[in-house]
Amino acid sequence: MGLFETAAAKALASSGVFLFMTVLLIAAAKRISTCIALFSVQSLVITAQIIAVSRMHHSAEGFVVAVLVLTVKVVAIPYVLYRIVEELQAPRDVSSSTSASQSVFIAAGLILLSFFAVRPYVGVLGGDQAMLAAAVALVLTGGFLMVSRKKALMQVVGLLVLDNGIFLAALTTTFGMPLVIEIGIVFDLLMGVFLMGLFVFRIRDTFDHLDVSKLRRLRG
Amino acid sequence: MTLAMNAVQVLLLILLAPLVRGVIARLKARIQNRHGATVWRPYADLVKLFRKEDLVPDSASFVFRLAPIVVFATTLVVAAFVPLLHGSALLGVSGDFIFLVYFLALGRFFLMLGAMDGGSSFGGMGASREALVSTLAEAPFLLALMSVAILAHNGSIAGMVQWTIGQSFFQFSAVHALAFMALALVAIAETGRIPVDNPTTHLELTMIHEAMVLEYSGPSLALIEWASAIKLTVVMALLIALFVPWGIASSLSALALVVASLVLLLKIAALVLTLALVESSVAKLRMYLVPDFLGVASALAILAVVFTALMR
Repeated sequence: MGLFETAAAKALASSGVFLFMTVLLIAAAKRISTCIALFSVQSLVITAQIIAVSRMHHSAEGFVVAVLVLTVKVVAIPYVLYRIVEELQAPRDVSSSTSASQSVFIAAGLILLSFFAVRPYVGVLGGDQAMLAAAVALVLTGGFLMVSRKKALMQVVGLLVLDNGIFLAALTTTFGMPLVIEIGIVFDLLMGVFLMGLFVFRIRDTFDHLDVSKLRRLRG
Repeated sequence: MTLAMNAVQVLLLILLAPLVRGVIARLKARIQNRHGATVWRPYADLVKLFRKEDLVPDSASFVFRLAPIVVFATTLVVAAFVPLLHGSALLGVSGDFIFLVYFLALGRFFLMLGAMDGGSSFGGMGASREALVSTLAEAPFLLALMSVAILAHNGSIAGMVQWTIGQSFFQFSAVHALAFMALALVAIAETGRIPVDNPTTHLELTMIHEAMVLEYSGPSLALIEWASAIKLTVVMALLIALFVPWGIASSLSALALVVASLVLLLKIAALVLTLALVESSVAKLRMYLVPDFLGVASALAILAVVFTALMR
């Protein structure tokens, strides 16, 4: 147990904090590209957690999953989303239906809610309360982002944040799902982002905007 | 010995504050591909202003003359609260964080009075804007400091710093992270930097601080400018002392103090660089968006206080 291991263990114990910070910053962000960058950072934190957990349990599978998450969620998906934002040539704000401070207040409330929600299960499932709460908070704020943001691309970002939450919940309670399932989920997500990217382009071509709150009529 | 060291700390803050301002201006100029003035320009400005005549509007009362002195004095007192090189401060035991917040508020209150007393329409406009910003910034400022104070079980700034040094560097607590984010936002509003206020422009639509000091000249203006430079440095030192105090001297030996000075220099340089980068890349907010900006800070600060109970 060297100095490095001690530092790593302490940093892991407090890494839930970084996830809370990314969630709050995404809630406060005004531009889509900022949200994408923050999602990338969030995935990086989760990658670090996977590495730490798999090192503690001496599982080689964990490292494979970590590399997978790193390439897909930290690099590939944010890059694809950036390209979509660039090529859409549409206004780049998230056009939220709540103001930045309201969003942060709501995200803060959701974080508190998730702390109280996981409290009864921490003893049963084991794992760190902050990490488990972070997982639930990611799911909740992902949903909140999808509901409150009007730009079609932000629905994608919200879904990705939500997925990060589900992934983290699996990691903290069962130390990760089997490798085959992880691979399946990650590639599913990548395909999903591609498909939704195509959708966003179609929405823009058909309606000349990306505001989902205006998509109320069917058009040929 | 400790007392002497504490006095030296305050002197350092007061004398180096214009330099910090000069370095920020120079860095911003370089980032924006301009040459920029020398980093010593704020000192030259101060010397020039102190030599000039102090012009007072006919309509002004004694408040107009009093305001710069009160502003400067309150800023000095606040500077004496913040540990810089070693763990204690000159007024470390005689007041807590609430005292610090309201001493800053007192200075601002007198600046607003002076601005309104000057009789120009810009003064009143700047004062009303400043009142709006400071009212909204007060709650997050107090709450964020309070959350750290609750963790440290100590109300004085020096006590909080001592407590933080005892913590492990790698054990980030949610309270500290949230309080830091809230205080960083408040610090921007408090010191009147971009995106809340632009210290380099006299555009009538946007200026806050500049509008208030428009009627001042000569030594009065010098005092106000010097005080605002000290305030910027003090707020920076406060952020450093509360959240990254590691490296501060634990004893009064020469070696520890030299190391502490070097570490402090590095930290301030990092903060100054961040500030210059942010100010060059962010646009100033519309006045009506400032409440939203400070609302984010309030949300973070409230969450920080709630977390102190949750994390126990």
